[in-house]
Amino acid sequence: MMASRGRGRRSFNVDSVGLSRESLPSALLQPSPVFPVMEMKPLPLTGGEEVEYLLALKQDLRGTMRNLPYYIQSAVTHSDVERYSDKYHISETCDLLDWNTDWRRFPRELRRSFRKPVRIGVSDGATLQHKKDRDKEEVLLKLENLEKNEKEQSSEEEEGGGAQEEQEEEPEEELEEETDYIMSYFDNGEDFEGESDDNMDEAVY
Amino acid sequence: MTSHEARLCGLLLREHFGEVVEKVGTHLLRSGAQHLRAIVHESGIPLDLVKKSLCVLVQHGLCSFSSGRKGPGSPMEYQTSPDRILRILRYPRYIYTTKTLYGDTGELIVEELLQRGHMTMSNTVKTVADRLTQNMEGQKTMEYSEVSSSFSKLVETHFLQRCPPSALTAKKENPSPADSGAPAAAASIVPLKPESFSDCYTVPRVTLVGRGKRPLPAEDEGEQRSAKRAKLDSEVHGDEGIYWQVNVERFHLYFRDQAIISAVANKLDQTCSEIVRTMLRMSELTTSPSATCTKPLSANEIFRSLPTGYNIGRPILDQYLTLLVDDPMEFVGKAGESGGGMFVVNLHKSLANLARATIESSVQERFGSRSARIFRLLLRKRHLEQKQVEDFAMIPAKEAKDMLYTLLSQNLVQLQEIPKTADYAPSRTFYLYTVNQLPTARMLLQNCYKTVANLIDRRMFETKESKRLLEKSQRIEAILASLQASGAEPEQLTEVEEMITPSEKQQLDSYATQLDETIFLLESYISSTAVSS
Repeated sequence: MMASRGRGRRSFNVDSVGLSRESLPSALLQPSPVFPVMEMKPLPLTGGEEVEYLLALKQDLRGTMRNLPYYIQSAVTHSDVERYSDKYHISETCDLLDWNTDWRRFPRELRRSFRKPVRIGVSDGATLQHKKDRDKEEVLLKLENLEKNEKEQSSEEEEGGGAQEEQEEEPEEELEEETDYIMSYFDNGEDFEGESDDNMDEAVY
Repeated sequence: MTSHEARLCGLLLREHFGEVVEKVGTHLLRSGAQHLRAIVHESGIPLDLVKKSLCVLVQHGLCSFSSGRKGPGSPMEYQTSPDRILRILRYPRYIYTTKTLYGDTGELIVEELLQRGHMTMSNTVKTVADRLTQNMEGQKTMEYSEVSSSFSKLVETHFLQRCPPSALTAKKENPSPADSGAPAAAASIVPLKPESFSDCYTVPRVTLVGRGKRPLPAEDEGEQRSAKRAKLDSEVHGDEGIYWQVNVERFHLYFRDQAIISAVANKLDQTCSEIVRTMLRMSELTTSPSATCTKPLSANEIFRSLPTGYNIGRPILDQYLTLLVDDPMEFVGKAGESGGGMFVVNLHKSLANLARATIESSVQERFGSRSARIFRLLLRKRHLEQKQVEDFAMIPAKEAKDMLYTLLSQNLVQLQEIPKTADYAPSRTFYLYTVNQLPTARMLLQNCYKTVANLIDRRMFETKESKRLLEKSQRIEAILASLQASGAEPEQLTEVEEMITPSEKQQLDSYATQLDETIFLLESYISSTAVSS
């Protein structure tokens, strides 16, 4: 019928219903206010000992749960300078969770996630060195096939690679930033398989 | 599950478990049962974070897993339900209730269990004993046996229950040739209900001898060594694999009973409420959670079980009982004449009446007492025409019309059309106003959820704002403390104090707590009607 023929039309005929034009409420030209004025104010809070104790309990509970290992921080670290202690912060909380629960109660696929951080913490030095050696060799292989001036570059990078072995992650990042290439454009295909083992890949470009 | 519930669940998860768990939890809520890869793919969260979040959720009983729909071999599916997550709002109330019933020891036991989800009895006892010892003055320590006895009492009254044995452990016990991959005869894994486990409330025999340890400030090395030894020693106690959790349903039954008792006390008399309390106490463990009314109790039994402080004579007790039965709120009903009269407490009816009172009072506070009068009238008389409303409520026609239309626009009152002729002509149809209690209660409950979510949002916003101000003020105070010579300091200090209003945050918290009581009442009413219908 005439009910929904478009905006601005009413579903009834003004004259036949018996109303006058003025008695109808005016059309809404903007959305209703977010905080409309209330005619009736709400009742005040009930006070008393019980309520205060409950309040204190609530705040305590929130605070303690924040410190428990069950509170998971998001993985993104917005630090401008990557600190040495960051690596140990994350693995600490994972270890706590690992210790506390009985893994037999969890499905198998969930249990696998917790061996990885322990592995990182334990075999840190060895695998890091190993990886760096491997990467360095790959870089050298690639560069061997280039011409003389690029061979000079490769020797510089070798020294840069040597420096990396002594320190940890920060100088490597500086090395990455020094190149002229935009790192985000480079896709070395490592993300293709998703989260494979050893999340601690430091890809040397 | 509605959008308000989902939003509130998300906020509660964020407050207590962090943003990652919030994202995973809300995704699961919105999409139903899903397996791990689907969650990772659809939510875009990295795999290891999803795994960690699921572990946290399963640990706290907020998420359950079962073998997939395609049969026993398919991947595990994870599922959450909004009800369980919404209980987080009520945790402080559970802890406070245990404190009133079982003292500080019970309070700490329940608090530890709520914070950690599942724990073994020995772990709980040790942690609680340590915490109590820290707060005791002098060199006194808390015996493990005291804490164990509190624990056993809580289990006896069913406030704590054993976690049902994970179906996975049963599967593991069968020797299966293939370690990875599903064996052909794999049973499908279904989450068990705690009640179906026969030993739900039996306390295991645990060898726990010792006392709580005070943290020693000196001898750090010695403590570390003993801490390591303590970790190894935890295997000694006899209750591996037996995990305990808080039985929230039992707490809800207790809250329901308390609500009925306090309503009786408000409406009638302290003595009447004591009688009702006695009746409820006697039928605590014999009444099933979804029962409409308690088992019938004879007046003789009630007389014998009254607390010793109340020396009322037998005929007076009979009079009180008659009063309770005749009361229009129908808290107590008469079920027979044997034994001096058999009486029951009408649980569902009391809940319905309490919910009705809540809705009526909310209408009164929002729209005024005259609108409330119209609302109550419609509740009692079911269907009324506009003219009848004006007459019965004794309100002038124009105002009655206005109020009715306001209530109608807020969806508290519905319009029922009864045509006289087949073509629904407006002049020849009856228009009756009516109120349906159950849908109105549901709507009010959703409003409550929305309100609590808004309150939490606002509180987090205020905390963020004042966090910056608090940091600023700390810095300012440090500067001020170092320059105490000049006289402008006190003014600046007061100015800074005016900027921060921590009391507002506390108020918001109290509002949320109070709202939870209304939420509880309405939820109980709705679930009671859901069961009966």
